[in-house]
Amino acid sequence: MSAAARIVLSVAAIVVVALVAGLWIIRGPGPLAFADGPKIALADYHGASPTGVPASLAQASLVERGAYLAKAADCEACHTAAGGKSYTGGVGFKLPFGTLYSTNITPDRETGIGNYSDQDFLNAVHRGIRHDGARLYPAMPFASYTTMSDDDALAIKAYLFSLPPVHAPAPANTLTFPFNQRWAMMFWSALFNRDSRFEPDISKSPEWNRGAYLAEALAHCGECHTPRNLAFALDNRQKFAGAVTAGWRAFNITSDKATGVGAWRDDDLIAYLSSGHAAGHGTASGPMAEAVDHSFSQMASEDIRAIVAYLRSVPPVTSTDLPATLAPPAPASHKDGGAPNARGKMVFEGACVSCHGWTGESPVSPVATLTGALAVNDPAATNVAQIVISGTRRNTAADALSMPAFGNAYSDDEIAAVANYVTARFGAKGSKLTAQDVAELRKQVSQ
Amino acid sequence: MATTLTINGEQRSFDAPADMPLLWVLRDILGMTGTKFGCGIAQCGACTVHIDGKPVRSCVLPVGAVRDRAVTTIEGVGSTPTGAKIQKAWLDLEVIQCGYCQSGQIMSATALLAATPHADDSDIDAAMAGNICRCGTYVRIRAAIKQAASGRQA
Repeated sequence: MSAAARIVLSVAAIVVVALVAGLWIIRGPGPLAFADGPKIALADYHGASPTGVPASLAQASLVERGAYLAKAADCEACHTAAGGKSYTGGVGFKLPFGTLYSTNITPDRETGIGNYSDQDFLNAVHRGIRHDGARLYPAMPFASYTTMSDDDALAIKAYLFSLPPVHAPAPANTLTFPFNQRWAMMFWSALFNRDSRFEPDISKSPEWNRGAYLAEALAHCGECHTPRNLAFALDNRQKFAGAVTAGWRAFNITSDKATGVGAWRDDDLIAYLSSGHAAGHGTASGPMAEAVDHSFSQMASEDIRAIVAYLRSVPPVTSTDLPATLAPPAPASHKDGGAPNARGKMVFEGACVSCHGWTGESPVSPVATLTGALAVNDPAATNVAQIVISGTRRNTAADALSMPAFGNAYSDDEIAAVANYVTARFGAKGSKLTAQDVAELRKQVSQ
Repeated sequence: MATTLTINGEQRSFDAPADMPLLWVLRDILGMTGTKFGCGIAQCGACTVHIDGKPVRSCVLPVGAVRDRAVTTIEGVGSTPTGAKIQKAWLDLEVIQCGYCQSGQIMSATALLAATPHADDSDIDAAMAGNICRCGTYVRIRAAIKQAASGRQA
């Protein structure tokens, strides 16, 4: 071989190695890579099955089991538009390059999934491939659902097929080139969808494995709580470290004590997941409130406990922008506390104080207490601004409490002012939102 | 759901779903119509009552969330010393025009003076900004609060 040929070959080899290494680095570890015990195929696992339904539903019909699993997978949250019929789709996901709409998954043959065979359904849920062979965008979390067992996916299908078919065509997506090229998702899937079912870790307890299956294959927590890489795939090096999704901040749910949920008691996590509120930790709103209402609040208590056991094991990652210690209650007098912000105070005393109080500890209900919530301690004030814009409603066992939406009542400037006032008064560090920031936040919300 | 609440010092029992707003219970079940419905979303103050002495908008407060806390309404507030002072000042200065918001105004003003007997203008702003009056009686409301606070004609 000549010297020139050797150089060309060496350079080619280096390029190939660099390319593969680059892709490998971008791809990163899988969602369960942090649990480093030996993993085996489900069929070879002898502990209590981590898949399927809780014991109370063991004898239930396929459709009933599917109904439970569909709730645990929270299909409804994305496949039901506000005011629309369940599972008929039409929710718009606003992305920087256009809007993507969820589709009808009732068994309507023309506009729904009525023509799907079992294999078609598995292809969609596990591989992101439609009945007609076209690729799904990863807004459908098939890279998470791919860990779901075939039996569970087909139970969900049986449940969906038990629903009345509704004729509801999805609105056309408005994605721009090149994002409107569905076929290109083939490369995304090849790189980022592992297309493999859940493998129990035999070094962990059956409860942990059940929790891992629920959190990864069904509840798909990481789709909002794990940051994404440049290719919009989950970066599991930062697993559950928090991210902004659809204009709301999904906070750090790693075991980090200061900025994650490491310091929460089990009972707090259980209460938060099953009711959307835990004393001293604030109240779920936005997309997490939907997840609680449609999914977690309907799950068996042993399943919620399993998810908590699993969350406890996720390695800590610190959110450096969040304070290590959350702010205590604000002073009782309106004259003390916070930063000078006349406009924010004017909005607060007119619209907010009657429920939230000057201290942040609500005279109305603990559900409306601001003290201890990460949202008011987030110096970006993302969720404070969003909840002011869109309001919220909490349904708990004992009562229901709603916050009205102020998005149409106040200008972007006023919303920015009150968010800055609230974070300065009730949080560790005040935000510096501008009217422009609020306008941007309004644009990002799915609807 | 059978519920018992302490309202104006009396035990009142009734059947209501836990998520029914307290205002509905007061007006429609117990017939206590002194507390008014304004906006229904805690933005006008007409429905203000006291829960353990603190002003609360009863239109958004689920009755199930009241639990064992004491409820005071416009029907009972005159029997508290501060409530009586406020009502007298309201009459002396003829604060009321159409009157619809005034139960809520009186409840908020009473809670203010009970907590801050020497309220200044900024205290009045902070406590009363959430009570809207479409007749614009704000100037007389402020004067009446000051009179009740000082015991003198403003």
